Amino acid sequence: MNTVPDDMERRLRETLDTLAAGVHPARDAYRTARGDWRRRERRRRIVLALLVAVVFTVAVAIGLWVLNQAPAGNGAIFTEPAAAAVHPDGRG
Amino acid sequence: MRRTESRPQPPVTAAEGDEEREAGVARLFDLHYTSMLRLAALLGADDPENVVAEAYYQIYRKWRKVRDAGAAEAYLRSIICNLTRMRIRHLQVVRRNTPALRVESVASPEDSVLLRDDQRALVGILRELPARQREALVLRYWQGLKETEIAAAMGISPGSVKTHAARGMAALTRRMEARR
Repeated sequence: MNTVPDDMERRLRETLDTLAAGVHPARDAYRTARGDWRRRERRRRIVLALLVAVVFTVAVAIGLWVLNQAPAGNGAIFTEPAAAAVHPDGRG
Repeated sequence: MRRTESRPQPPVTAAEGDEEREAGVARLFDLHYTSMLRLAALLGADDPENVVAEAYYQIYRKWRKVRDAGAAEAYLRSIICNLTRMRIRHLQVVRRNTPALRVESVASPEDSVLLRDDQRALVGILRELPARQREALVLRYWQGLKETEIAAAMGISPGSVKTHAARGMAALTRRMEARR
């Protein structure tokens, strides 16, 4: 493995410190950033609410359509006439 | 007989939760914004303000999960590393596909700072290193983080941090010596 001279580490630290010292935040950085977060959060919530509403509406519409497609007559189990379904001894 | 007052804690309403989140993120902003901006710039982001604003937005969104200030700082650092790496990769792809953009130069921190020639050369070499090596060097030599902290920020193992830092440092040394 290569050995790194201490001088190189020191120079790198100095250079990075000097470079970092030249970066200054804008004065209204917080206000700008906060406005952006709030706008994005509001948009995210609206999109989420719309999505939930659309999914709910579609689910309800599909459910209603399926119910509407059900046959109007008696089901397959209750094919016999109502009178025949009564037990002979009258116990139902 | 002493009466012990045990008031039931009122439930936190959505508005109160939002206020608390605003206050918490504002505190984090005050504490770390400048250092995070400098980190993004040193990592080579062409638009450090946007990168850091995006990182704070991620914290803002996931505020309920990230309450601890120490964890929030580490989380911010990690997001900034990831976003900067993605941004650089995106720019590399764009430049590769649109040769006309190659000549465009983006204003970088070293343009506005008075650097010596050797420091300028060092920054140039640092910019040409692979993103992982540059991240390891910046987090180690500028932020002075421990290997485990660097590993958490970069999302890799401490062993890999050692490897990236050693390779990066070796490349810097080699190329600086070749320059003499």
